[in-house]
Amino acid sequence: MSAVLRTRTARDLIVVIVVVFGVGSIAMLLAHVSPLIGFGALFDGAFGTKSEVAETLVQATNLLFPALGIAVAFRAGLFNIGAEGQLLLGGFAAGWVGAQFPLPGYLAIPMVLTAGTLAGGAWGAIPGFLRARFGANEVIATLMLNVVAMLLATFLVTGPLQQGGGGASETATLPKAAQLPDLIADSRLTWAFIIALVLAFVLRWVLQRTVFGYELRAAGDAPLAAKRAGIDLGRTAFVAMALSGAIAGLGGATLVSGVLHRFNIGLSPGYGFIAIAVALVGNLDPLWIIVASIAFGMLQSGGIAMQAEAGVPREVVSLVTGLVIIALAGRRVMASRRTT
Amino acid sequence: MNATLAAVLAVLGLTLVKATPLIYAALGGVLSERSGVVNIGLEGILIAGAFTSVAVSGATGNPILGALAGVVAGALVAAILAFVATRLGVDQIVAGTGLNIAALAAAAFGLVLIYHQPGASHEVPAFGKGGEATLIVLAFVMTAALQFVLARTPWGLRVRACGEDPGAAESAGIDALATRFWAVVAGGAIAALGGVYLSLAELDLYSDGMTAGRGFIALAAVIFGRWTPLGATGAALFFGFFAALQYTLQRAGVPSELMQALPYLAALVALAGLAGRVRAPAADGVPFLRS
Repeated sequence: MSAVLRTRTARDLIVVIVVVFGVGSIAMLLAHVSPLIGFGALFDGAFGTKSEVAETLVQATNLLFPALGIAVAFRAGLFNIGAEGQLLLGGFAAGWVGAQFPLPGYLAIPMVLTAGTLAGGAWGAIPGFLRARFGANEVIATLMLNVVAMLLATFLVTGPLQQGGGGASETATLPKAAQLPDLIADSRLTWAFIIALVLAFVLRWVLQRTVFGYELRAAGDAPLAAKRAGIDLGRTAFVAMALSGAIAGLGGATLVSGVLHRFNIGLSPGYGFIAIAVALVGNLDPLWIIVASIAFGMLQSGGIAMQAEAGVPREVVSLVTGLVIIALAGRRVMASRRTT
Repeated sequence: MNATLAAVLAVLGLTLVKATPLIYAALGGVLSERSGVVNIGLEGILIAGAFTSVAVSGATGNPILGALAGVVAGALVAAILAFVATRLGVDQIVAGTGLNIAALAAAAFGLVLIYHQPGASHEVPAFGKGGEATLIVLAFVMTAALQFVLARTPWGLRVRACGEDPGAAESAGIDALATRFWAVVAGGAIAALGGVYLSLAELDLYSDGMTAGRGFIALAAVIFGRWTPLGATGAALFFGFFAALQYTLQRAGVPSELMQALPYLAALVALAGLAGRVRAPAADGVPFLRS
């Protein structure tokens, strides 16, 4: 019940802050570092200079796309744990198509982003279809498909679709025309950030103000009532999962087109999983998810400085992220399983 | 002994080595899910077992103490999931996902704290061949024991009742929350043995990522094995067999990625009900809260 799931925001915020600073401090003390120095290095590394702020926003962008995708599925009562795989395949499709077909700028970027969106959407549609047609549990399906996506991308990029040869697990470099333009010169921050922000506002509008959004939320909040009201739960599940995957896939495409300029099999340090925390902290509301993505983007970019400057292993960031997910899952009674 | 026979025996031996950690993890998953708690955190439990057993074996010089500590660590990690799942009625899947992320990070953090190096621990006293054989045999003994416990004992009946209909179980005087809690914790202890096997029997150290998604393959084995201990162990052996064949088939031109994807594809097929009817326990994954 996403209605139940979305209450208690203030309490959640306190829980998150306690977990982040409490567990973070304990971990820093274990590493013989004063938490003041550790967190100081983290914040300084995330916001100290203009280029560090840019890098924080880069990380926020990379988390914002999959988090928005996850939120769409969660709002429909579907647990999409597969954003990581959807993002990866989106990135691969974008990188391969972009390097394979050199087009002029006004066509190249839309083509690359569309390829990523379609690939991610297709990968999300599989569990959606299995759910709608066979009633297969989408959680397990998306979990399995994450690993299959990794294997498929590895196979394609080193096998039949390799570019440049040598068996390297990456595509060729994208031509300049297919690279998203920088937002701030000499940083990795590109127009991807703006696209993500616009997408968040559009999704908010779609969820709150359109018939489709209403059906989606109804299917998540009260599946039985939605069914009686004539909403096709199977179709909603399929569309929601495909849309969710498409958004994550678009994220993978912007990561390739904007940040890395090529697909590499290790392009995501787990954005699709961290994004679960981002979506939950953002209360599954696209606008709050923007805020949450910047907070987690800060942990990602500042974590590197924390390790370099203060000597705190950056695994602390992942540890805290995992615990935030457990803590927030602990505050919410989720929907009873939908009946399709 | 001719060469063909030797090759066949080598593959069968490797099958047992590859299957054993999967069997332990899958048995843990079966016990947890039959009580009604989906354990996505199996991967995290394997990591906890593998890391803790190495750390304690290294500190005490005694691999048996290490193994016991690993089992306790697995039970404790499972207890976190069990607590939030039974007492707070949370979404078990989201919590399990968080558990995996946290366990991987905690082990990586622990490596830096204890060994002052990222990536891998030092070599520690381990079991060797004799201990490895014992753990392999124990996996099959455990399978039979769990099958018996679930099918034939009062506690097994209570566990299954809580997985099918916790409300009805409570009406019959069973404490559904406590039953689920202890089933998940016991499942965590069993699954952790898979981690112990990886780090102290197959190897003699812990390295980041050494569990390599076996917790998820085990989850696939639970489904493919239709939520029974015998079925799950059969599925684990099946997946282990293909893992053992991987090198042979790769030389014959079969892409290794296809072989690695097999357990997951098999689970998807089973999930979709394309390989005969598959039914999860009715209340699997459904939080139970007393009203």
